[in-house]
Amino acid sequence: MPSASFKDDLLAEIKNLRAFAISLSGSVTLADDLVQESLLRAWSNSEKFQPGTSLRAWLFTILRNIYYSNYRKRAREVQDSDGFYARRLTVPGDQESHLDLEDFRQAMTMLPPEQREVLTLIGASGLSYEEAATICEVGIGTIKSRLSRARSKLVELLALEGGSDTPVERKIRRAG
Amino acid sequence: MDVTRANKAEEPDTPDPKAVEAIGRALAAHYAALVQAPVPDKFAELLARLEAELLTRLEIEERERDLAPQRRRDALG
Repeated sequence: MPSASFKDDLLAEIKNLRAFAISLSGSVTLADDLVQESLLRAWSNSEKFQPGTSLRAWLFTILRNIYYSNYRKRAREVQDSDGFYARRLTVPGDQESHLDLEDFRQAMTMLPPEQREVLTLIGASGLSYEEAATICEVGIGTIKSRLSRARSKLVELLALEGGSDTPVERKIRRAG
Repeated sequence: MDVTRANKAEEPDTPDPKAVEAIGRALAAHYAALVQAPVPDKFAELLARLEAELLTRLEIEERERDLAPQRRRDALG
């Protein structure tokens, strides 16, 4: 049975859970379905959550399992017709920084899913290598390798290497 | 098989630290935009409904427990 604070704890994690779902699936529509299903599953399996461990990591694990079991094929079909999340979400900042994020988002979608999720888990969600390894059901060495490859691929896609001064590079630097 | 060459093919060269830094900043900005986006009310409504259903079930169970002794007495006549 869920503890008295379990609902509030889940509520506090929804924004991060949804951000992870959007990053993983590339679709706001699918992400919302994923979050809803994850919340239902978390609620009905609340006794399996170990107090003192990371609720965020536990929820990400649930959502990831649901995604790879039921949604991955659907995600490939929906992504392009979804209007895509970057265009549907309000991005703070001026027009220039919006363009920077659009370039970056496009580059992210070109990464293999296993690299994109590791980049999101560690580089953005603030989870540890150990937590990411548990969520992805691989060793820490694999997580580090995927992270390294993801960064290298993004550097290549955004033409950030070798002191080049492409428009994309200038935009990324200004965004920082 | 040339192991050295195979490993080199699998492991990309370490990118320029400044480029990695720029990627980190862009990733943070990208993810912050996702986290800050408004969340539909349906998730909070779903959790409220689940909590209400749980409370109702607990109340029923408690009432059943309270009534059980009286029902046993009634059954015994």
